[in-house]
Amino acid sequence: MVDSTADTVSPAARTNLVRLLRAAYPHPRFPDGPYERTADTIIDQVGESLWHRLALVQGLESLDAAAQHSRGTGFAELDDEQALALLRGIEDAQFFAFVRGVTVVTLYNDHEVWDLLGYEGESYSKGGYLHRGFDDLDWLPNPRVEEYDGPEQIVEVAPDDQLTTTGGTH
Amino acid sequence: MAENTPHLGNPIPHDEEVVVIVGSGAGGGTVAYELTQKGIPCVVLEAGPWLLPEDYENDEWAAFNQMAWLDNRTASGPYRVATDFPNLPAWIVKAVGGTTTHWSGATPRFREYEFKTRSHYGRVEGANLLDWPITLADLAPFYDRAEKAIGSTHRHGRPALPANNNYKVLANGAEKVGYKFYATGPYGTNAEPYDGRPASIQDGFNFQGDKSTAKWSTAVREIPRAIATGKCEVRPSSQAVQVTHDASGRADAVLYLDSEGNLHRQAAKVVCVAGNSIESPRLLLMSASALHPDGLANSSGQVGRNYMRHTTGSVYARFDQPVHMYRGETMAGIIADEARLDTSRGFAGGYYMETLSLGPAFLAAFAEPGSWGPEFTEILDAYQNTAGMWVVGEDMPQETNRVTLSPALQDQWGLPAPDVHFEDHPNDVAMREHGYGRADMLYEAVGANGTHHTPPYPATHNLGTCRMSERPEDGVVDAFGQAHDVPGLYVSDGSVMTTGAAANPTLTIVALAIRQAEHIASQLGKGAS
Ligand SMILES: Cc1cc2nc3c(=O)[nH]c(=O)nc-3n(C[C@H](O)[C@H](O)[C@H](O)COP(=O)(O)OP(=O)(O)OC[C@H]3O[C@@H](n4cnc5c(N)ncnc54)[C@H](O)[C@@H]3O)c2cc1C
Repeated sequence: MVDSTADTVSPAARTNLVRLLRAAYPHPRFPDGPYERTADTIIDQVGESLWHRLALVQGLESLDAAAQHSRGTGFAELDDEQALALLRGIEDAQFFAFVRGVTVVTLYNDHEVWDLLGYEGESYSKGGYLHRGFDDLDWLPNPRVEEYDGPEQIVEVAPDDQLTTTGGTH
Repeated sequence: MAENTPHLGNPIPHDEEVVVIVGSGAGGGTVAYELTQKGIPCVVLEAGPWLLPEDYENDEWAAFNQMAWLDNRTASGPYRVATDFPNLPAWIVKAVGGTTTHWSGATPRFREYEFKTRSHYGRVEGANLLDWPITLADLAPFYDRAEKAIGSTHRHGRPALPANNNYKVLANGAEKVGYKFYATGPYGTNAEPYDGRPASIQDGFNFQGDKSTAKWSTAVREIPRAIATGKCEVRPSSQAVQVTHDASGRADAVLYLDSEGNLHRQAAKVVCVAGNSIESPRLLLMSASALHPDGLANSSGQVGRNYMRHTTGSVYARFDQPVHMYRGETMAGIIADEARLDTSRGFAGGYYMETLSLGPAFLAAFAEPGSWGPEFTEILDAYQNTAGMWVVGEDMPQETNRVTLSPALQDQWGLPAPDVHFEDHPNDVAMREHGYGRADMLYEAVGANGTHHTPPYPATHNLGTCRMSERPEDGVVDAFGQAHDVPGLYVSDGSVMTTGAAANPTLTIVALAIRQAEHIASQLGKGAS
């Protein structure tokens, strides 16, 4: 069971938070590191607001109660599907909304996550992507880069939408 | 800010009556450049700091937090932005150069019919359509000058940018579905050195400020050149809070706050307001006087109304093979085939399809705001194999879509914060659905195994809140952007747009600003304005 006092996040509550993040943002390819760093950012941020801190501690603690109630086990012991189902049921809970708000701007701003997703980020210091693959896609033919030069012309106004002598078309 | 503090120009006394320009973005920066080239002294008041290319952060959140306008604002109304981002109706930059520091560079012109929407579309229920008081022919010579200033590719001998990966997918899909009018531009970034700036190194960070300066912005061209004339003083971290008028009703000064909150007055012969379409009407509304009880230049009641944000939506498509959409120029891929008027499609007006890429940080925040669980993570898991495009088209002006002063919320100075109220018109919804459908077809034609439809982001195109009109009762400014009811007061940004057209707005903002500057110079030459 989680054993937090009302305004500190205990190690067990942190474990539940990491588990929650994995279930809510499942990426089989990701190791624990990014989730743990995100959990720590969330814990740091609740330090700034008594209300968020109270809500988070209470929320994480009650995850165990909810899991016990529905599955007879602690939240951390649920499998992915069970944990996800439990979270769907508490989607509107204030603490969970707060957790999601921080996660979405933290987990995906993690440089290890960028690597895992195949994003290389800043390139100016390396001369841009000009010689580092900006045009290396080879599974489609190289398209024209110039504008189309005929013979067809774009029909800017369809015949039925031409101005009539009465002014409007409708 | 960098060690190397920029030169802010020759000091101009506060009591000297000059042209005072509020805002240094596409509109304000251009007016300052054009007037100072003719020897007319200008003071540019810019709310944000002066950042140099070496200061720009090539990291999505860091850049956003460094440069976006994050003062209190609210979004209201039934559109999704009001729910998902209630304090961020728009993505606008607060820095010297304005939003041209974060723009990407697509520069199509408006089409002829788009200056005459009331005549062409007829009476559209709920829409406050009006023909512009000018035509494409009036603007054409200024479009030429704007394209040369910006260095648009595919125009005036400027070569095309090469195809990046995201464009290869877009263009091949376009060809497969029978589109013809696609290319890597016109686009405001150098494919080869031009105008003293280098060629693109395809670094992928258009939206964060271009460290290489291959991309045009008023921060790298118009503002430094205005200063070089010796006729311009730029005052960064100076936020205009009121435009005042004399007993005759003529604009005569701008009151502004410095970074410490001290109030200053700059005397003016002419005032050009170019704070973008939320701050410009806000400033006019905050400038109410006994002569203008509902806000300066608001005898028509149209100040703040007819707010447009373009009908937009993004489509992210997943493939079996890598795309790496983030490498290279973000928006150097434009399809114009749907940018036309053909109401048999079920809506008036047209739209463009343009390549778009976000990094994982922004994609997570904006692809499907509020979403979580496996249906969300699959979007991110496919990141490397994802291609993206933006659908951007004309939205209907509506009187009730509107910028007002918040009765409750204030900014850090104690001034009323702006509220941006917006609701899609049914025409906007029909256009967006059509765009999503065409984008799906296009990507499926080159093998996409899934697409995601992303709702509109906080607005990057903000238009219409001080619109141009022939008759004073229909709008705020005349055909040159001068207020119908306040001599000497001009609006010089996208808020003057009578209707929004399908095209990205900046080229047109610059063309209108050049035209306005010519007009101001000739009026000042005659000893009036
Ligand atoms: C990510 C992104 C991509 C874009 N891509 C494109 C594109 O490809 N093509 C295109 O055409 N457009 C694009 N745009 C839009 C383009 O940036 C704007 O249309 C253009 O910059 C608007 O010009 P403006 O002069 O109206 O305002 P801005 O450029 O926003 O300048 C307004 C300036 O006024 C200042 N200001 C406001 N209020 C005050 C005040 N009271 N006192 C002093 N200063 C004030 C602001 O700080 C700001 O610097 C993009 C925008 C974004 C955010």
